[in-house]
Amino acid sequence: MADDGDELAIDMSPMIDMVFLLLIFFLVNATMIIVKQDSNVRPPVASHSKKAKDGTGRIVVNIYEDGQFFSEDGVKLNTEEDIEDLVKKQKEQIDLQGYKPKIHLRGDKEAVFKYCRQVVRASARAGVDQVLFSTYGFEAK
Amino acid sequence: MSRHKRPESAEDDEPKLDISSLIDATFLLLIYFLVTTTIQPREQDVPMTLPAASPSETPPEIEPKLIRIDANGAIFVGAGASQLPMDADENHSVPLLYSDLQAYSGLAKSSGQEPLVQIYVDGGARQQRVIDVLNALAGVGISKVTFTDLVDP
Repeated sequence: MADDGDELAIDMSPMIDMVFLLLIFFLVNATMIIVKQDSNVRPPVASHSKKAKDGTGRIVVNIYEDGQFFSEDGVKLNTEEDIEDLVKKQKEQIDLQGYKPKIHLRGDKEAVFKYCRQVVRASARAGVDQVLFSTYGFEAK
Repeated sequence: MSRHKRPESAEDDEPKLDISSLIDATFLLLIYFLVTTTIQPREQDVPMTLPAASPSETPPEIEPKLIRIDANGAIFVGAGASQLPMDADENHSVPLLYSDLQAYSGLAKSSGQEPLVQIYVDGGARQQRVIDVLNALAGVGISKVTFTDLVDP
């Protein structure tokens, strides 16, 4: 029929090509979430840092620039005893799961080191001696 | 004239959705989100083991390396009179300390021992500076450190 030639036909194949391209781009770019990242902490830069492989057994302590401590869930830790309690509690759970507990220390790069030392001391008292310092592998813009 | 005869069989009367405007809008949104996306940099680890993890009965034969970081971020190596000033600038790669540590690590490994490092950090030093030193240690393959003087005044 002559009418068929007048029909408006949209060729969908380039659109589908594009969509797949974008899908693959985002799939490749996607990173596994290891720990929840508190955006108030800007980690320091360390070129020899390694890519985090496993997210198991991590006890997160955030240290803000002004020296406030926060847990992964955003609970404020006022004293060293609070940190010790948190580490002890999470250590018990991690031990039950059969993983090795470790401190994931997310300290702000401008924070003063004595706060970091308080966390290390508290966690050592709670029986966790592996410390992972959270860093960026390159200078973030 | 055919469409007036039998409407149900005529192709012209079939309802057709023009989806080109939908595609326009979709691409507009897609480009908007692509442009506004910021890619979060990946966070990485500098792993360190504190000495409580590996208590040893025998005192180490090798002399431990002492590193001191003062409040201004200047780095010193050694203790007492033999203390040597190392990097004091803002360079994150601390080249002087790095080459010193490489020599020390090589010496320790050639004598079959584990290199030992003790770090004394002033409470007022910035976290970035401490990470610079730990980064240099990780670079030469030392992952066991002691933070001496854990009591802040």
